[in-house]
Amino acid sequence: MDTLFLDAPFTGKVELCTETITYLKTHNITCIGLYASVQFVNNLDTIKSQLAKLNITIISSKADRTHVTSQLLGCDSELNALNLSSSEFNQIQSFLYIGDGRFHPYALVYAQKDLIATDVKPIICNDPISKKHTLTDINIIKSILRKYRASLMKFLVAKTIGVIVTIKPGQEHLKASYRLETKFPDKKFYFFLDDVVSFNQLENFPFIDVWVNTSCPRVGLDDQEKFTKGAINLNDAFMVREVLSKESVLMKI
Amino acid sequence: MKLYNPDIAKAIEKIKETGAKTICIQLPDGMKPYAQEIHDELVKSTNTKVLIWLGSNFGACDIPLGLPKMNIDLLISWGHNPFHKKMDGW
Repeated sequence: MDTLFLDAPFTGKVELCTETITYLKTHNITCIGLYASVQFVNNLDTIKSQLAKLNITIISSKADRTHVTSQLLGCDSELNALNLSSSEFNQIQSFLYIGDGRFHPYALVYAQKDLIATDVKPIICNDPISKKHTLTDINIIKSILRKYRASLMKFLVAKTIGVIVTIKPGQEHLKASYRLETKFPDKKFYFFLDDVVSFNQLENFPFIDVWVNTSCPRVGLDDQEKFTKGAINLNDAFMVREVLSKESVLMKI
Repeated sequence: MKLYNPDIAKAIEKIKETGAKTICIQLPDGMKPYAQEIHDELVKSTNTKVLIWLGSNFGACDIPLGLPKMNIDLLISWGHNPFHKKMDGW
């Protein structure tokens, strides 16, 4: 079976609203990290010239799973998936996301959990549809990351782990999941298969101390509250000691 | 078709190019209200059987599974571009 993907680009004007421009001016922003969702990413020329007029330097990148530079996908929610060098990241004062909703820009919130020895950056969201500006400030970001830190700590001490593997394309991480057994020989792993994560089934396995999510990484991040035992993503399970190291941003918030 | 351009011409071109007889259209939530318009236009222009995916469309990784079992020849999925998988599957 063939598959055709169509971007469905936004048909209106893609530009910075007055509120965003005022924010950039009043906060003396001189360098931003620019990202957009697929409906807007191929139409950023006006925004780039608006930023140039404000003498703001643009830094962007082609994230791992995306198709074009500056595109942001919800699943590129690890810092290294953004493919920004540490000097580029340090130069950025704030991220600027062009698009609607919270799903995509929150990838930039979660990516910042992997920061070492640097502070988090706020995310300015400019929605060309509603012509509105919203800000995900440092306090909001820290409060989101603290919840995830609790699950990471739980994983670190847990003895019995449930690993959820799903069958959607781009997921299917059974082979990678098996590597957890080698990495953590003191823990007992049980591997669960599912089409999508069936949250209402989790309580039927009371012997599990904590879950590892290998489906969409955003399930392990956005749906923290649906995992009453706590859950972390596969990538973070492998990196748990580094992510919880003394220098990590998670240990300073 | 107020907010997003559905590029119906590209969809029609792909249907003709592949010779698909039965297709499934998958729309993100924001475009689901356009399903009738897209469906009717595709049927009129290509004389194919067009089925509408009811479920989610969170990303290019969230495509319906099992469609070939229902003799679907082509899936047209709006709102996303191709997804580049980071790790090997299975």
